Order: sequence, then structure tokens, then C-alpha cells
Amino acid sequence: MPKKYDTPLLDELEKGPFPSFVTEMKKAAAKTDMAADALGQLERCFRDKKTHWKHGGIVGVRGYGGGVIGRYSDIPEDFPNVAHFHTVRINSTSAFFYTSKFLKEMCDIWDKHGSGLTNLHGSTGDLVLLGTKTDQLEQIFAEFSSRGWDLGGSGSAMRTPSCCVGPARCEWANIDTLDINYSITQEFQDEMHRPAFPYKFKFKTVGCAVDCNASIARADCSIIGTWKGNIAIDQAEVANYEKKGMNISEEIVGMCPSKCMSYDGKQLKIDDANCVRCMHCIAKMTKALKPTGEKGATILIGSKAPFVIGATLSWVIVPFIKMEPPYDEFKDLIRKMWEWWDEHGKNRERIGELIIRRGMREFLEYIGVEPVPQQVKEPRRDPFYFWTEADLQK
Amino acid sequence: MAAPQRRTDIGPPHYKDFLPPVIQKNYGSWKYHEIINPGVMVHVADSGDKIWTVRVASPRLLSTDTIRDMADIAEKYCGGYIRFTTRNNAEFLVSDEKNIEPLQKELKQKGYLAGGIGPRISNIVHTQGWVHCHSAATDASGLVKAIMDDLADYFTTKELPNKVRLAVACCTNMCGAVHCSDIALVGIHRKVPRVDHGNIKNMCEVPSTIAACPTGAISPDPAKKSLKINDDKCMYCGNCYSVCPALPISDPVNDGVAIVVGGKVGSLRSFPKFSKLTVPYIPNNPPRWPEVTSVIKKILDTYIAGAKKHERVGEWVERIGWEKFFSLTGLPFTFQHIDDFTIARETFRTAATFKW
Amino acid sequence: MEKEEVKQKIYALVEKSIGKKKLKSSDIQKAVSAEAGISRDEVKDALRELIDNGTLIYTYFGGSFVEIPPKE
Repeated sequence: MPKKYDTPLLDELEKGPFPSFVTEMKKAAAKTDMAADALGQLERCFRDKKTHWKHGGIVGVRGYGGGVIGRYSDIPEDFPNVAHFHTVRINSTSAFFYTSKFLKEMCDIWDKHGSGLTNLHGSTGDLVLLGTKTDQLEQIFAEFSSRGWDLGGSGSAMRTPSCCVGPARCEWANIDTLDINYSITQEFQDEMHRPAFPYKFKFKTVGCAVDCNASIARADCSIIGTWKGNIAIDQAEVANYEKKGMNISEEIVGMCPSKCMSYDGKQLKIDDANCVRCMHCIAKMTKALKPTGEKGATILIGSKAPFVIGATLSWVIVPFIKMEPPYDEFKDLIRKMWEWWDEHGKNRERIGELIIRRGMREFLEYIGVEPVPQQVKEPRRDPFYFWTEADLQK
Repeated sequence: MAAPQRRTDIGPPHYKDFLPPVIQKNYGSWKYHEIINPGVMVHVADSGDKIWTVRVASPRLLSTDTIRDMADIAEKYCGGYIRFTTRNNAEFLVSDEKNIEPLQKELKQKGYLAGGIGPRISNIVHTQGWVHCHSAATDASGLVKAIMDDLADYFTTKELPNKVRLAVACCTNMCGAVHCSDIALVGIHRKVPRVDHGNIKNMCEVPSTIAACPTGAISPDPAKKSLKINDDKCMYCGNCYSVCPALPISDPVNDGVAIVVGGKVGSLRSFPKFSKLTVPYIPNNPPRWPEVTSVIKKILDTYIAGAKKHERVGEWVERIGWEKFFSLTGLPFTFQHIDDFTIARETFRTAATFKW
Repeated sequence: MEKEEVKQKIYALVEKSIGKKKLKSSDIQKAVSAEAGISRDEVKDALRELIDNGTLIYTYFGGSFVEIPPKE
């Protein structure tokens, strides 16, 4: 029987309507010593108002440089079963679809070799197994990989790519997000498991500008589905929306950012040449409006959290690229970007930060992309810019 | 018993093996969807086939017992198919309409909370906090639980002008999507890291530690074979601690939570936006952080009262102006609100037009 | 150049940098390929073997590095 700790502070978090993580920890704590000590130590953190975990950097499975995050208690004398409490990242499926069969197998392996605690999912999109000891890592890896599952990324490597639900269950997907995600993951296995980048690199693929995977805010490479044709309008369905109480002039036409729509009470019109494809009208009138024509993606680079120079959103590099299997044009472009980053990037410098440090021109020239107005919100305001010898000759 | 044979570089299994048959059949051919109630939506394919999604909240941190229970439920009503969302909800994928009612009934009976679909509050994206992180300035799961208990009605029933996306990051590393959420919390430190001179040499690489500082506050201390920190320059971000464990920064008395508002990631109507600072610091007050939850409630109520239909929090604030936001919410405006980091001048008001 | 020789060069480089500068995989690839006049892929391949057999390991200290495993 695992040890039972008094947890008066955490018990408060079992009250109330929302599902409780404390209840989850108690369920696991009844079964494993590790989870029991994790619960006991968490109560101590709540009492002390500080974390009691230390980072540590030399754990993993043989041959890989990622997928396992070392974690140690700073009070192992009090909580010996979490003296080691490492995280294992399992590479999730595209769009997080699972079968009950797999989930049950995963639970069996994890109860046997770990704490029985998980995260579905971690922030990057890994299936996170929370807490195990160093001597269990190889067995865990063998159990999962023999069943067809691999570890995810960590450290200065390609991280586990993730995507929105896309064509699996959404009418707005302009690209096959699940397949792109799977294809990237398989193509760059070496880059994921054997960290050789200056720092982390994340891909997130979404089917449209609604961006249900926060791609534009959380990925070094944001792949956002879009289209080049017109929006087809079903006027009968437009009338249905109005009948059901939608104020089309105010809620649709009035909120269009490019003011390219009009409505006279009978006909909805769109000036497609001036549409920026923001998705507002389509998302609100999904039965009435549908993009047509050529489908593809906009490739944006550079978003990340605030360290070191402040948070960034990804910015446009390639306004439109066809995304069809085997995605060779896209993958070649990524390889060029990585080459340039490898050549110039400092330790812990993300690719977006490097572009800001060395300039878009050098980056675009290296990867072979022409400058176009779609890449900027506005041209520069200052008169200070470089000319090369080649420019002068033109 | 010997362990099975390990394999490397195989990647995840193919996603097609995990899609319900109705999805495989109608992949890429969905026509529209409708929200039936806050916990159920239906997607209709060009073929006329339908798939119903029943969404329930999870605390993200799940025990194997609960996952097994979810798997059992999925077997009973969904042919074993289940997925998770990026906001940590579980989605039961139902192909047979007659299974929806009994599924909802069993979920309710077992205490699962259905909801989160439509213009509501969905689950909170969050980080590990004191549960498992070495650099946490606050807990994440505890804050999430306290906030969602307070706002549960907006998950299960009540509508908002538009969806409101919440996030919690337990330090400025921001493993959660805090920098682009409608309302978000970030754990912060307020004091300079302590230099553990005895361990710098063994545990840290001096050049990379110096390079980790965004404000140039760290320099070598050759006499001590260590580092020194310029107190006047340090902004307590903790990036140095990520590279150098001998620079501990956590401080139970001075650590706490900042509240940022008005971010979004979608491009609908307006560009994606960063979240902006509204409350620079609230002390950690576990287990339920009542001061934090009351400010969030106040911001949400002010948004509900003032926003037009479809406006996200950030769009509402930009329409009324930040000066109006502070007067309507009654939140104090302080020196900490005025940027003095890397993009300060972009944020100064360069027009004499504003509201009183 | 024989793979064994490349491996020796890699190991010597990592050993020499102990206590001075932690090396990333790409630092090793750049340095050894330049010194030996071979392609980076050849260095990468040799490095992978050294890591697969445990002669060298990956470590993480706010970034991923290649080091000699600590003596237990």
C-alpha cells in the first residue's frame, strides 16, 4: 500500500463543479508509491508557496537526445519515491485521435513502469507520461516502440508537430492537416530524436485562419490553410440565417475587415478580389458560404513566447504554396531554412530571432523566396537600408 | 520477463488507424456543422452522413483509472473512438444517433462535465506548475481548478459575446498560450536571482548564462570564478535559471501572478493579437487564489456588459480604448503597465485623442 | 577516412572541450568535417554510432549538447 499523506490544502481543490486534478492524483496515489509521494510533495509546495522540483539534464533512452525530461525532487529525504520523477513524451497521433484499445494498453504499461499520472496532452501536443525512474526508461521505450509508438521531441530539436482536426471533422479545412503533420513527423525523425539545432523548432498545421491550434502564436513554422478562388454563396441558406435571427448587415457585412461584402436584404454579395480570407463570415454562416478554387497554405515563420526579445507572432514568408503529398517543395524549403539557421544561429536562438537579428533579406535570399508585399504589414519607415554590388549594377 | 524488442525512428502510428469509419468515409467532405447544445455538435458530410461529438472537460492531469473509464465509455457508445482537443477536452465521437442520449446520461451520472462548444469558455490551456516544473513561479492546475469552478456556468450553459480563451502559464517561459489569449495568467518573480557562487563553476556555462539575459544584467565575476548580476538591470524573467541551476530565483514571498488580457490567435475580423498587461502582480494565495479569481470575474463581467456580439475581448477593448477598460474595470494603472522592454515606443500614445 | 578515425577525432574534440565549452552536435559536425575534409553527413554518421553505443551521450542544459557520460 502506498503511503497516505494528509493534504488539507489540496483537499480544497476537490470541491466545486469542475473536474479536479487532485482527485486524479489521489486515484493514482492509491496505486503507486510515486504518485503518492508526488501528491505529498505537491501539498508541501502549496504550503511553502514554491516548487520543489529541480531540473536535471542527463536522462534519456539509448541513442536519443530527447523525449525524456529529467526531473528530481529537491526534498528527496521526505519524498523518496519522487527522488527521480522524469517525464516521458510519447509522440501523439495527428489531431489526437485514439482508440480505446491503445489507451488501455498505454495505461497498463504506465501503471507498471511509472506513476500512473499523465497529461492529455502537453502544451506542444505530446502524450505526456508524468513521472518515472531512470531505470524504467528503456523498458518503457521498448514497450511503446514495439507496439508502434515512438517518443516525442525535446531539447534543441524538432518538437512533436501538431495540427488541428482538419479534414477529419471540419468543413473549413483547405489542406490535409493530419497528413501534413504525419508526413513532417516521419520525414524528420532524425531531426526530432538527435538534437542538432541551435534550439527548438515547432511545426503547427491548421486548415484555415481560425487557427484552432494557435499555430500563428506557438510555432516556429506555422502552416495555415487558405485558398485563391471565390467564396461560393448559397443565397437560400443566407435567407435561412436571417430568418433564424441573424442580423446580416451588422454581424456579417459590418464586421468584415476588408469591407468587401454587401447585403440588400435579399442578396449577399462578396467582392472576392478584396477579401482577405479572415474566415469571419464563413465561420458564422457555415451553411451558406464555401471557399472555392485552388487550395493551399500560407507559410509563416517565427512565433514564440517572450524569451528573449519579447513574444512574437509568426510572419508571412511564402504567401501561397500547394500542399500535396509528398510535400517535397515544402520540405525542401524547410531544409534550406534549417541550413541557414544551423550556419548562423547561436545556442538557444530560435529561427525567428535569427531572422530579426540578421534581417529578412539574407534569410529570403538563402531560401530562394522573392520579396513581396504580402510579407509585411507596411514597408519600412526609415531611409536606412543595404545595397549590394549586384543591386547597384541593376 | 524480457522486455520486447525496441525500435527507433518509427514516429507515431498512422492517423488513419484511429479514425472512426464514418470519418474515414467522409474525410475531407464535410459540409457543415451545428451546435446542438453546449456539449454536443453534429458534423454533416456531403454524403449526408453525420458524426456527433460529445465534449467533456478534463483537468489535463489524468490518472490511468480515468483514462480507462473514458476508454470503456468510448467502447460502449463510440466503437472505441475518442479524441482530445488542444484545450484538453475529451471528445466522444458518436456515429449512431441513438447512442447520444445514453452517452450523455452516463457521462453526467459519472460526474463528467459536458460543454465548452460555441461562444463560451472552453477549458484552460495550462502548464505543469508545482505539480512537475522546476521553474514555476505559481501553480497552474490549482489556479485552473479555482477559476473554472468559478466560471463553470460559462462552460456548461451560459453564452458570451464570443468565445473567451483562458490560459495559465506558471512562469514567463510561457509553455501555455498566454501571450495570445483573451484572459490569461502568468507566474512572475519580483526579485533578482540569488547567485550560488559555489556551484556556478560546476553547474553552469558562463557565456551561455550571460547570453541568456535579455537586459545584459549578468557579467563575469573573475575573482570568485562566478557571475554577478546588476540589480538595476534585472527584470526577473528567470531565463538565466533555465540555463544555470545555480541561479535560483523562486521566492515564496514575492512570487505571484500577473493578469494579461486581449489576445487572440484567429484572424477573424482582426489580426491575431498579443495579450496586454492589466494586473502586474497578485501574491500567490493557494489553494484557491481568491484575489485572482475575483479579478478575472470582474474583467469577464465588464466584457459581457460592453462587448458587441462576435467581439472577442481584445476587439472590445480596442473599440472602447484601454483607458476606458481601466476605468470600467476599476483596475489601477501603474508604472508597471507602461512598457520599458523591447518594443516600448510602439506602445506609447502618439495622438492627442483619447477618452476621459 | 575510415569511420573509426572519424570517431576518434570526435571523441578527442569532446574530451578536449570538457570544462571549457559544451559542444552541440552541429559544433562537432562543423569542426570535424572542416578539420578532416569530409562531409558533415560522414561526421553525423560516426557521431550517431558513438551515441548509440554509449561512448557519448546527449545532455540538456537549456540546450542540447554532446558529452562524455559521467562516471557512476
